[in-house]
Amino acid sequence: MQEVSRFGKLQGFVGWENFGEVFGDPLFYESLWRTGIWTGAVVIGTLLISMPVAMILNDDFYGRGLARVLVMLPWSISLTMTAVVWRWALNGRSGLLNATLMQMGIISEPIEWLAEASTAFTVEILVGILVSIPFTTTILLGGLSAMPQDAYEAAVVDGASGWHQFRFITLPLMKPFINIAIVLNVIYVFNSLPIIWVMTEGGPANGTDILVTYLYKLAFRFGQLGKASAISLIMFGVLLVFTLLYVVLLSRNEADATPEEEVKSDDE
Amino acid sequence: MMSKTKRSILYWIILAPLVIVILFPFAVMFVTAVRPRDELFVYPPTWGFSEFRWENFAEMWVKTNFGGALLNSLYVSITATGAALVLSIPAAYAMSRYRFVGKGLYKNFLLMTQMMSPIVLVLGLFRLMMTLGLVNDLNSLVITYAAFNMAFTIWMLQSYFNSIPRDLEEAAWMDGASHLTSLIRIFLPLAVPAIVVTAIFTFINSWNEFVLALTMMRSAEDFTLPVQIYSQVAGRYQVEWHHVMAGTVLATVPVAIVFSWLQRYLIRGMALGAVK
Repeated sequence: MQEVSRFGKLQGFVGWENFGEVFGDPLFYESLWRTGIWTGAVVIGTLLISMPVAMILNDDFYGRGLARVLVMLPWSISLTMTAVVWRWALNGRSGLLNATLMQMGIISEPIEWLAEASTAFTVEILVGILVSIPFTTTILLGGLSAMPQDAYEAAVVDGASGWHQFRFITLPLMKPFINIAIVLNVIYVFNSLPIIWVMTEGGPANGTDILVTYLYKLAFRFGQLGKASAISLIMFGVLLVFTLLYVVLLSRNEADATPEEEVKSDDE
Repeated sequence: MMSKTKRSILYWIILAPLVIVILFPFAVMFVTAVRPRDELFVYPPTWGFSEFRWENFAEMWVKTNFGGALLNSLYVSITATGAALVLSIPAAYAMSRYRFVGKGLYKNFLLMTQMMSPIVLVLGLFRLMMTLGLVNDLNSLVITYAAFNMAFTIWMLQSYFNSIPRDLEEAAWMDGASHLTSLIRIFLPLAVPAIVVTAIFTFINSWNEFVLALTMMRSAEDFTLPVQIYSQVAGRYQVEWHHVMAGTVLATVPVAIVFSWLQRYLIRGMALGAVK
């Protein structure tokens, strides 16, 4: 809320002016809207892929150890490095993704993946999903491995199909873990700078800016520290809501875990 | 019920697309890193290339000051990990062994600090480091990485500490040992595996951090690896992609191997602690 010079000197209190500037800025609303899409798409996409993957990795099959290592692999690599590699792989002329697609005969002309905001943003979301899968799968695996087996046996005796087992036993019992995976992912993805920053720096023409990249640009490119701080505070508020939600979910889980769990298997 | 063989085949078929997409960047990295320079921008693009040019690695090492960035990364990651552990072992021990007023509150507080990501605080941190005269000083990263990792280390350590039986310590107390002696001579040796695993994950977190390093380190000789590699890509008219990819191979593959070897401990630790 202070007017701040480029070198961080306070230049007097300017009241709510910085916030006024933020709320009068069309780029802020665009970034906000895009942050929503980015967070929503990555979180939902990740969950839809991670759930079946976790169920497979929880089951017993040949090569499970290897499969687990492979699925967890993106986690070990810095988001920056992943994004750098993808930036090259997606190179519009000689990128190896174009090479793959052309050599397989799927496309005949190379595609400029990162030159247009809409394709660039889509690709960034996909990369975002890819790097979020390991963490989400880990949480879901933790939940699945704690699942009581007798519920399934009872269901099999009652003649429940695979889908019904999933719908009426796995899903309800996994709900706390799914909730936590969603809330944590929302927080992480909402805050994630490296993928978009490295691949497009929010460009072309601010077309892939989300709040964090916009904030970073304002602060360290254009030296508008006051305005950037105002955005920081707005983000802080949003995060606080999600964090509180997380704490509530956790304490509710703990309360649930204490009494003997009664497993309901709907008779079919 | 399917036989195990049938099930394995089915599962691998389902997993195949994901595995391919996960391995794709690695393939891109290797193939580009060993390519001769003049075969980078060929048209039409192709995976094939004429020869393995291993000299790319040596060339890159000299030209991009990779060694310097590597040393910076090692220094920051090792000291930050050390600091985080020294500070979190007592905290984790207290959370695991003692009852005290406000324990639940403290637990929630830890969780909340974990949610506050560097990017939201980066402006404030930058100004703080400015005041302390630590911009362009690797120690600013040591302090911030240690601080940002504390919640995770305390949480992980505590969940492992809980699984170490109390009997031995109680026996030591009976024999007249003080709590401090029993902590150092009896408990810590038992906790070494847990501490090592936590240390390695903290190390990897610090090794991979980008936002703070990008902000605090303003001159090229202070860059850590992620920033150094980013700086070769960003805002350049001509990017030496074979050097960049050789750099990412060297920076990521050792970490990826260690991580693959340890990931089951992470899964266990999270299953024990973070979710419950």
